[in-house]
Amino acid sequence: MAGDHSHRYWKSLEERNALVESPAAAEDEFPESLEFATGSIGRRQFLKAAGFTFVGAVLTGCQRAPVEKAIPYLVKPEEVIPGLAYFYASTCGGCSAGCGLLVKNRDGRPIKLEGNPEHPLSKGGLCATGQASILGLYDSRRILHPLREGKEATWEQVDRDILDKLEGIRREGRAVRFLSDSISSPTTLATLEAFLGRFPNARHVVYDPLSCSAILDAYEQTHGMRLLPHFRFEMAEVIASFDADFLATWIAPVEYTAGYQAARRLEATPPQFSYHVQFEPRMSLTGSKADQRIRVAPQELGLVVTHLAAMLASLAGAPFPAEGIEQPAVPRQALQEVAQRLWEAKGRSLVVCGSQDVSTQVLCNFINHLLSSYSNTIDLALPSRQRRGNDRELQSLLEELHGGKIAALFISGVNPVYDLPDGNQLAPLLQQVPLVVSLDGKPNETTELAHYVCPNHHSLESWGDQEPVSGVVGLSQPCMQPLGNTRALLESLAAWTGTPKSAYDILRESWQSRIFPRQTKESSFQAFWDRSVQDGFAKLEGTRATAVRPFAAGVVHPILSAGALGEGEFALVLYPKVGILDGRHAENPWLQELPDPITKVTWDNYACLSPAAAAALRVSAGDVVRLESGPATGNGQKGLELPVVVQPGQHDQVVAVALGYGSKATERFAGMGPQWIEGKSTVGETGRVGVSVAPWLRLVDGALQYWRTPVKLQPTGRHLALASTQTYGGIRVPPQLATPGAERRPVIQETALASYLDDVRAGKQWEAEEHEDLWAQDHPYTGHRWAMAIDLNACTGCSACVIACQVENNVPVVGKDEVRRRRVMHWIRIDRYYAGDGADVEVAHQPMLCQHCENAPCETVCPVLATVHNAEGLNQQIYNRCVGTRYCSNNCPYKVRRFNWFNYPHEDRLENLVLNPDVTVRSRGIMEKCSFCVQRIQEAKIEAKRKGEPLRDGAIKTACQQSCPAGAIVVGDRNDPNSLVSQLLRSSRRYHVLQEINVRPSIGYLKLVRHRLEAREEKRDG
Amino acid sequence: MASAHSTLYTPLIEGAKTPAQVTKDICAVLDRKPTWVWWAGFLFAFAVLLIGSAAVTYQIAVGIGTWGLNNTVGWAFDITNFVFWIGIGHAGTLISAILFLLRQPWRTSVNRSAEAMTIFAVMCAGLFPVIHMGRPWLAYWMVPYPNTRGSLWINFRSPLVWDFFAILTYFTISLIFWYLGMVPDLATIRDRTKPGLRRRMLGFLSLGWDGSARTWMHYETVYKMLAGLATPLVVSVHTIVSWDFATSVIPGWHTTILPPYFVTGAIFSGMAMVLTLTIVARKTMGLEQYITVQHIDKMCKVALATGCLMGLAYLTEFFTALYSGNQYEQFAFLNRALGPLSWSYWIMVGCNVGISQLLWFRKVRANVVAVFVIAILINVGMWFERFVIIVISLHRDYLPSSWASYAPTSIEVATLVGTFGLFFTCFLLFCRFVPVIAISEVKGVLGVGRKQRGGPPATAETPSELAKAGSGDKKEVLV
Repeated sequence: MAGDHSHRYWKSLEERNALVESPAAAEDEFPESLEFATGSIGRRQFLKAAGFTFVGAVLTGCQRAPVEKAIPYLVKPEEVIPGLAYFYASTCGGCSAGCGLLVKNRDGRPIKLEGNPEHPLSKGGLCATGQASILGLYDSRRILHPLREGKEATWEQVDRDILDKLEGIRREGRAVRFLSDSISSPTTLATLEAFLGRFPNARHVVYDPLSCSAILDAYEQTHGMRLLPHFRFEMAEVIASFDADFLATWIAPVEYTAGYQAARRLEATPPQFSYHVQFEPRMSLTGSKADQRIRVAPQELGLVVTHLAAMLASLAGAPFPAEGIEQPAVPRQALQEVAQRLWEAKGRSLVVCGSQDVSTQVLCNFINHLLSSYSNTIDLALPSRQRRGNDRELQSLLEELHGGKIAALFISGVNPVYDLPDGNQLAPLLQQVPLVVSLDGKPNETTELAHYVCPNHHSLESWGDQEPVSGVVGLSQPCMQPLGNTRALLESLAAWTGTPKSAYDILRESWQSRIFPRQTKESSFQAFWDRSVQDGFAKLEGTRATAVRPFAAGVVHPILSAGALGEGEFALVLYPKVGILDGRHAENPWLQELPDPITKVTWDNYACLSPAAAAALRVSAGDVVRLESGPATGNGQKGLELPVVVQPGQHDQVVAVALGYGSKATERFAGMGPQWIEGKSTVGETGRVGVSVAPWLRLVDGALQYWRTPVKLQPTGRHLALASTQTYGGIRVPPQLATPGAERRPVIQETALASYLDDVRAGKQWEAEEHEDLWAQDHPYTGHRWAMAIDLNACTGCSACVIACQVENNVPVVGKDEVRRRRVMHWIRIDRYYAGDGADVEVAHQPMLCQHCENAPCETVCPVLATVHNAEGLNQQIYNRCVGTRYCSNNCPYKVRRFNWFNYPHEDRLENLVLNPDVTVRSRGIMEKCSFCVQRIQEAKIEAKRKGEPLRDGAIKTACQQSCPAGAIVVGDRNDPNSLVSQLLRSSRRYHVLQEINVRPSIGYLKLVRHRLEAREEKRDG
Repeated sequence: MASAHSTLYTPLIEGAKTPAQVTKDICAVLDRKPTWVWWAGFLFAFAVLLIGSAAVTYQIAVGIGTWGLNNTVGWAFDITNFVFWIGIGHAGTLISAILFLLRQPWRTSVNRSAEAMTIFAVMCAGLFPVIHMGRPWLAYWMVPYPNTRGSLWINFRSPLVWDFFAILTYFTISLIFWYLGMVPDLATIRDRTKPGLRRRMLGFLSLGWDGSARTWMHYETVYKMLAGLATPLVVSVHTIVSWDFATSVIPGWHTTILPPYFVTGAIFSGMAMVLTLTIVARKTMGLEQYITVQHIDKMCKVALATGCLMGLAYLTEFFTALYSGNQYEQFAFLNRALGPLSWSYWIMVGCNVGISQLLWFRKVRANVVAVFVIAILINVGMWFERFVIIVISLHRDYLPSSWASYAPTSIEVATLVGTFGLFFTCFLLFCRFVPVIAISEVKGVLGVGRKQRGGPPATAETPSELAKAGSGDKKEVLV
């Protein structure tokens, strides 16, 4: 303690010691010195630092950044504005019905097909097949360039070869045949005529894989004109259908559904409700909507029609000799009632028949004649042109082929090797024909055998026209540049006629010379053309296409007996399935995954058996049976193995199998769906989806027959898991699992017509059942409040909405195994319930989608708020936020939520072009569900705001609503008391599914109304 | 021996052990090299764990579609396993906290392993809420922390969020409780260990335990407080787990009985699991004198009581469904008993209510093999109980159109088996590295049922008194 430090104060002994031991250290509390701070920077050091900085800067700048060109259109393509959709009116090429289309184009490519509401036939509806046909445009397996002997060639080479060969054939006068399905296009027919006219022996042979040729033949006999009449279901108050599935697959289902529904409008004043009786061997979609269904085996159909004809003849006092007629297997009483109803509605009744037996069809014509249906409910003056096939000519063509008489065969729109009963025998015969040219754009069994394939455009890529019904000419316009080096059929024909021209020129000239003179509205062709292109069709007034002679009663002959079936023998019925039809779109995964509206099975065909038949054979759903035919089939095939589906309501001696399966086009699905250790293939053992039953068709007496007897069934003991989207079919729970009186669930509610009419007369409206609500003011809904009304009475179950939703909302296809695991992704499904027991079941179809509940159970349970309520009453799913706990789905009483169990990409990358850019594509691990097409709601709102107008009722149409041919779905603003949806929701028919749990759905269903004998019987739940 | 016994009490620990012997016996496992039995068990458990890990890896890589779930049955094995494992964990807390507060001295022999079991079971359970997600890599979105994802926050109305907190709390408390109870024992081992890394680690883990009266006092206060904190958790965790179901609208889930039902079931299954483990442990590690038939008897009684309560709950459910007049509710229960998956319901009833009735008989309770088999069956039954509640309720709910079935895939089975692998791997490691019986606590109950002269005072029931009696310090250990 000396010197300087003596007067320092210390705080602790340690500090004092430190002061003594090292005074300097004590001074400097933080002894570390910073070098830089103390030393001055010299010249060398500065240069070093500067150099380092410079080199560093240069090095980082040396990396070559990727060049991204973001140059706007120098010359903007017309009508391509990113983010804006354009609609082009066109005509559907999905089948021969020729429905009107509006093609939604985004960024220069079509992404969705909608029904054209202005179209006089389809009236805005579009079926599942039509909706799905857009996917065919983006099919990378299409034939995208001409083929010569299976190898890619140029059009010049192919044309030169074909012309050379044709020249030789023409000089030698040998036979040229053009085989196609029904072509209603006036332009194509004229061009074809010009082409064939160059040859001395040339003929256009038309056949339809789903043939109606017996109807045309019958009219030839009774009315002297081979035509298909135009059925006017909207005029019919009583409809009797003999195995005609007119609401689903028969000729023009969209038009017929719209017409059928027009005659059943309960909300109209006065309410309309037609009576529909269906005679059929299996449960068809049309049968499921019928007020009365009578099961008839196919071989008995003619006999039943004869009886009905006899009854009506006696009512009409017309002579009808039917001595020695056998008694039919249907109750006479029921038949008598049908006759009575038809007769009472004379002039307003309609009898249609799907039989391929000409005499049966003649009898139907006789009945319609007795009922004065002609020029009332059946239009012969302006007939339909949707089916023009002539099976007799097909038969003679096949005979010519067998005789080796044909030198050149052109095939367009049909696949005879697959379609026809003896298709596999065609292969060697086609080899002998010197020139076989296929004009199909899709590879199939026939294109493989053709010497030349001259692929046609997809119908969305080319100009064309169709005249489905005389006087209504639909126009197709290209909606994008062709994806490949394909060529329109018109152009190919013109090139081979020696007058090469563009399809546009051919069509325009044809319209100028043929169509324009048939109309009176427009005076200049240009104006007419412009309007037609804009509308997508031209309605030709005042033209009568054909002259028909009066009914010839002399050709009517009774069918006095039906072939009997022995014990254990069955009649095999081959039917087209909704969507798949004859297999023309078998390569379309959307349609393959579309559940059959009745059986709900996807990705397969199967043998439908009635419950009694299945019980007798001791088989249940999925058990494989072997079908054995007495006489060998067209292919010499004797047996066929198929899994069983037990189908209530089917005739006990009938086994029904769908056509259109097992084609080569389905081989592409081998890798469909997620591939993982327990994953199973979408295709069967044959490498294809389902089994082809075309060999079991019969081409006899000039008509393709879709049934055959006798067929025997043999259980094989094998089992195949069917991919079904609904496995429990009843509206009743199994009786042993219910307390007495609670077997039936009030999910489907129905009422009898009489009691509904009483309600209407009394002005009764819907009354809410009040439940206590803890959060009454939780959602004020000050602006819009979206709601939906679904009319169960209108819904036929046709499933057009399912595909429409799938296209609109980028809903993925999951493959057979995933469907089997009950993981189908459809946002809207059609629940199908059976009521009643045994043979006479009643069917109810119920579209089921997110109910957008006011008290949504899903919203409270999501831990991350990925599903929330918006101010307009929508239940929204936020994909980005979803972590995938699936709690919302578990807690959804309607089970409408859909989970992405895997990534489900398009199996064909090119198909990504069909994706709707307005809807997020979901990845795996995410929940999704119906959004009420929120993108459409937003679009309409923005548009209304831009225009400064209030949002018009009807400006918003969800995809399901837009496509519904029956108009069963209506969306709108519930806060607007005048909106259509508000009006419908005031109906006394309104109810909510599961209203007892008080989740308050935004969707109101309108009860089914049934014609009941016990008319006053009102049942809350049926 | 008999003369050494009190006439009123049976000794909890047999063999007239001195505290030194206790230390030696229990630490014997830690002292010797692992036997081949241990190695075989460990390798097997680890292999099973690897299988489970592979299954989970595959599932996360490929997609949750590798499970047998569907759009109708959104939960099955995943949440069944989750609730099962959470339930298993419950016995640990019950034994360590509630029985401690109720001053049940017999708990001392089993509480350590029961607590360990709790922790491992909760680890197994905690796996499922994460891997059952469609996007498990986003599991952290369940955590409410200030984040940069805008105004997005979690949904406090969701029972899954409550679950998250409940399980996290439960795991934390259980872990702390277990660790804290182990501190004196860790100190004992530390003192027995030669200087080196192991000793230093033990020194760190034993938090500088010096065995002083002051330390004991602090220790006991904390232990008692934690027991108090953990007690409500016994009830709360499984109550909250049951809310996952009870707050929903699905018939069979939407019932108020679920919370007590779940808690009882959890204790029932947990007790069965403790029985299973301790019966194996006492045999393989030669601890028969510590975990006596008397312990097993007592646990059997708890299992019997809770098993009867389960039976009552099952009956009550049916009565409520009948009384409600609700057709969906009635169907849901009839469908459990008579529907297509009713076999699982009858396994549940048979194992939980039927088999457990055997425990009424003293002879059965005294037969260790019989108890072991019964305990295993109870665990099977309790697993099926969760399966019944989850799968049978979901597979047939309101709309008959969406009724579906469910079958597990190999991946799901491997995942379930894998959690057993995880559980036993952890448990076997626990047996090797930590005293399976709470040494200090057992020393405290050595006197129970003995005459005063035979050993420490019969009243010495708490560790502090024990410490005063001289055990747990260095000198004793060295003997």
